[in-house]
Amino acid sequence: MANREIISTGNELAAIAAVDAGCHFFAGYPLTPSSEIMHTLSDRLPAVGGVAIQMEDEIASICSVIGASMSGKRAMTATSGPGLSLKAENLGLAQMTEVPLVCIDVMRGGPSTGLPTRVAQGDISQSKHPSHGDYKSITICAGNLAECYTQTARAFNLADRFMQPVFVLLDETLGHMHGKAVIPTEEVTKSEIKSRKQFDGKPEEYFPYGVAQDEPAILNTMFKGYRFHFTGLHHDKQGFPTEDMDTCRLLIERLFNKVEAHTDELEAYEEYKLEDADIMIVAYGSVSLAVKEAIRILRKENIKVGLFRPITIWPSPAEKIKEYTDKIEKILCVELNMGQYFHEVQRVSSRLDIDGLFKVNGRAISPFEIVEKVKGL
Amino acid sequence: MSLLKAPVNTPVWIDITKCKACDICVSSCPAGVLSMRKDPTSTLGAIIDVIAPDSCIGCTDCEIHCPDFAIYVADKKGDGFKFAKLTKEAEARAIAIKNNNCRLPLTYTTTGELIDG
Amino acid sequence: MAFDYDKYLRLEKMPTLWCWGCGDGVILKAVIRAIDKMGWDQDDVCVVSGIGCSGRFSSYLDFNTIHTTHGRTVAYATGVKLANPDKHVICVAGDGDALAIGGNHTIHGCRRNIDIHMIVINNFIYGLTNSQTSPTTPRGMWTVSQKAGNIDPTFDACKLAESAGASFVARESVIDPKKLERTLVKGFSHKGFSFMEVLSNCHINLGRKNKMASAVENLDWIDSITMGKMKFDKLEEQEKTNFLPTGVLKENSDADEYCEMYQKIKDVHQGKRAKITQNDFEKKI
Repeated sequence: MANREIISTGNELAAIAAVDAGCHFFAGYPLTPSSEIMHTLSDRLPAVGGVAIQMEDEIASICSVIGASMSGKRAMTATSGPGLSLKAENLGLAQMTEVPLVCIDVMRGGPSTGLPTRVAQGDISQSKHPSHGDYKSITICAGNLAECYTQTARAFNLADRFMQPVFVLLDETLGHMHGKAVIPTEEVTKSEIKSRKQFDGKPEEYFPYGVAQDEPAILNTMFKGYRFHFTGLHHDKQGFPTEDMDTCRLLIERLFNKVEAHTDELEAYEEYKLEDADIMIVAYGSVSLAVKEAIRILRKENIKVGLFRPITIWPSPAEKIKEYTDKIEKILCVELNMGQYFHEVQRVSSRLDIDGLFKVNGRAISPFEIVEKVKGL
Repeated sequence: MSLLKAPVNTPVWIDITKCKACDICVSSCPAGVLSMRKDPTSTLGAIIDVIAPDSCIGCTDCEIHCPDFAIYVADKKGDGFKFAKLTKEAEARAIAIKNNNCRLPLTYTTTGELIDG
Repeated sequence: MAFDYDKYLRLEKMPTLWCWGCGDGVILKAVIRAIDKMGWDQDDVCVVSGIGCSGRFSSYLDFNTIHTTHGRTVAYATGVKLANPDKHVICVAGDGDALAIGGNHTIHGCRRNIDIHMIVINNFIYGLTNSQTSPTTPRGMWTVSQKAGNIDPTFDACKLAESAGASFVARESVIDPKKLERTLVKGFSHKGFSFMEVLSNCHINLGRKNKMASAVENLDWIDSITMGKMKFDKLEEQEKTNFLPTGVLKENSDADEYCEMYQKIKDVHQGKRAKITQNDFEKKI
């Protein structure tokens, strides 16, 4: 696998990944700490014939991204917590119409205006369910600089595979962290592009939503002879609104099934020194970097700690987590929020004795805080 | 532009399955060609009727104003239809129909006013 | 005439679900005739509609169609157009959709002067959701959200579009569908944001409790508040208060169109031209 070394920030790496992964359209709005993604793409996308536009607000951003994707192009937006809240309604439409897109969320202190320039991991719950109704979220969290690139590129392929929005969470620390990343070359990323399925039969035999119960819709590129209808209403296999009870039920069930039946394609996690661990820490994002340092310190004192780091946050790697929570006595969740993934670990493990180290003051958790917490368990 | 072929010798015809009985075509006809008639089986209790096709002047106002693709007028060139000229009687009938809630009244004056009683 | 609309309709979806006499049907037919006159290939057209009765517009048309969330037609259309600048994109939105919740997007579509054709069907009420006040509901009329009588002042949608920067602004009504068709053709032929307000009748919602319960009465009212632009311009200022001028109200074929301007940005970043500076523009502020 051909690699290259880049010295850059998480935000810029995510932007570079988008271009390499064939993104044609970007729309965004200035929102700290994600704005640099828009700045980078406003130069890089037009340079390769793409479009990067600053829209009048967050909602216009997601809407124009969905419109561009509906027309058949790979499209992306970047935002932070407050922006994700604004985008909720239209993210729901993208889920319902099964339109692929990548939404990068560089998490910051919240709720509301919160701490614009400070770190938090407060969108774990929100990315699981920003919009009303029933659907399954696909959310990835980058845990280091290189992953800001690789996971963004992966997100485009996942979006096209599952035909829905994919969230890529960075936290502010990672978005603004400046350092060295070893990432695949542009050629490698390009060669790994797997575009959405297309129907190539007769137009009158084309039913975009007439697919198997564990498959996503097949949405042909616009303007090529296959004319069909997108609507946020419940719809039949042609895409037209319907209230038929069975059609509606099967549609919602398929929105779930298309993800649930293929979690093997979505699962991604890191198991760090868990083989002999007596204590398992669950952490993600930039916190995992501090955890790894803490583990190094603790292991010097013979305390056997390991890290389980989910990379695909939703759907959660439930089976794998349970494998560990069934055999490891002490589990500690370390998050920069009030325990948003902690609740998932509790649910998946059926244990109520999970410990938590939660920090919500807009600052990163230092390895020493983690060391102290672990020693006190 | 693609045109529908008119039925033989017909200036204006209706697709009864599409008519929603909104009265608009009747009120827009200057020549009293159209009227609503009672129809208990239709949703609003009325349906469109071509009552005086020979008076049709081919203005196409009914076709253009119909929201529901329910009424069509023959094409002067394409169907070679010879439309009538507007007469005083036709005008009066049109006014009378409009005065009578878009339904042809039994009696009316020569200028289209309704007669009481 | 006997225009054959079948080619442009999704016939299996007919008849329309609109109320008897609803102006939406008249506008649908006028749009089809106008597109037919333009000679556009059906595959090259995208129609984006919003939420409301007018939202169902796109589902009846055999083009690439999108039924979006409330107020966002221009935003979705901007994405489609910028990603496919050589295709024809039409927005259809109601008065509430375009001017209330969607006001911001409408304004910025006008400001960018992007080559999108926006048809705002103004029936002076929120129809689908049953008679709530819209930004164009006349004052003193009864609405379900202001049963004591509407006190909200109204927007002049065309003035709004003009000042926001749309380079083609027109107003017509369903009173004269042939004139509407001609204006639509002018709008579709225009390069830049063409804003076309079409006054329509909602006798079922606005009309029923405001003394115009039939389509004909509601249409007569629209007739009484509209006046051709030339005649309107000759009125005294005071007399203009209760009339809306119809016709093409603004047409500027020289205004910069957004997709063409964006091509310049592509050229800069591909090294084909120097950076864009203030000197490239006559209007510098």
